[in-house]
Amino acid sequence: MADENINTAVAEYSYTVERGKIREFTLAIGDPNPIYTDAQEALSHGYQDIIVPPTFGIVIDLWSGYDFWAQTLAMGMDPFMIIHGEQEYEYYGPVYPGDRITVVSRLVGDETKEGRTGTMRMVRVENIYTNQHGEKVMVGRSTRIERKQEGVGAK
Amino acid sequence: MTEHKFSFDGVMLGDTLPPLVKEAVSRIQLVRYAGASGDFNPLHTVTAIGEKAGFGGVIAHGMLIMGFAAEAIANWVPNRCLRRFGVRFVGPTRPGDVITITGRVAAKRIDNGENLISCEVTATDQNGEIKLAGSFDAALPAGRA
Repeated sequence: MADENINTAVAEYSYTVERGKIREFTLAIGDPNPIYTDAQEALSHGYQDIIVPPTFGIVIDLWSGYDFWAQTLAMGMDPFMIIHGEQEYEYYGPVYPGDRITVVSRLVGDETKEGRTGTMRMVRVENIYTNQHGEKVMVGRSTRIERKQEGVGAK
Repeated sequence: MTEHKFSFDGVMLGDTLPPLVKEAVSRIQLVRYAGASGDFNPLHTVTAIGEKAGFGGVIAHGMLIMGFAAEAIANWVPNRCLRRFGVRFVGPTRPGDVITITGRVAAKRIDNGENLISCEVTATDQNGEIKLAGSFDAALPAGRA
């Protein structure tokens, strides 16, 4: 991908947080913390309702219509050879069921390196999550690595 | 996990998070996490794809392991205190792996009027192999524990 694409918004999408999705997500992780499922418990901790867990950004990204698969192919990457290298979140406020979160996703890095096991292309994306009140609630930064190795992958 | 009785002054460098030992990662869990997260990359659910990608079979979503780490963190510091949480996915996790989350306080500082602690967090398997290495910052109330 050419340098002129760095820092441009690559996607914008919105997601309405659902109570049942929070429950499904914490059950999949096996995280029994009642603050994610029991409104009374959450209220007793000073929240307005149950909150989303710290890694819920992935749900917002992948269930809001953003198509990782299509995006990957559009960037000339082999989806089978992509691994998640790094992930970081900054937190600015709680996210509750019913919140409408809008995400602006920007490409912030795209570099190719020679690694121990072959060539690696590292694509960095920054997502800014804003709620329906215009408050920035979270920032996410991810690095995805495409491994280019002989004999493996779809190509 | 409901009572957090510590404060900035009461937390010392080198203090450790209570270790969290998760149940063995299962294939069913990877299917559930795929549906819950929306990450349907077949690398995590279809053995033939995991083999084709050079992993010898399916591997867990990195975000699932980050979720385990987040569980351990939230058991220790209230969610509202968490300011930043970042990880590197160091190695693949496979079905059957038993992941343990550990962590320790690495730094304390005052920034923008907030009492911040920085902690290291690590996920290792039953053989001591590191799967995830990261850190988080949390803002704690001042005062004695």
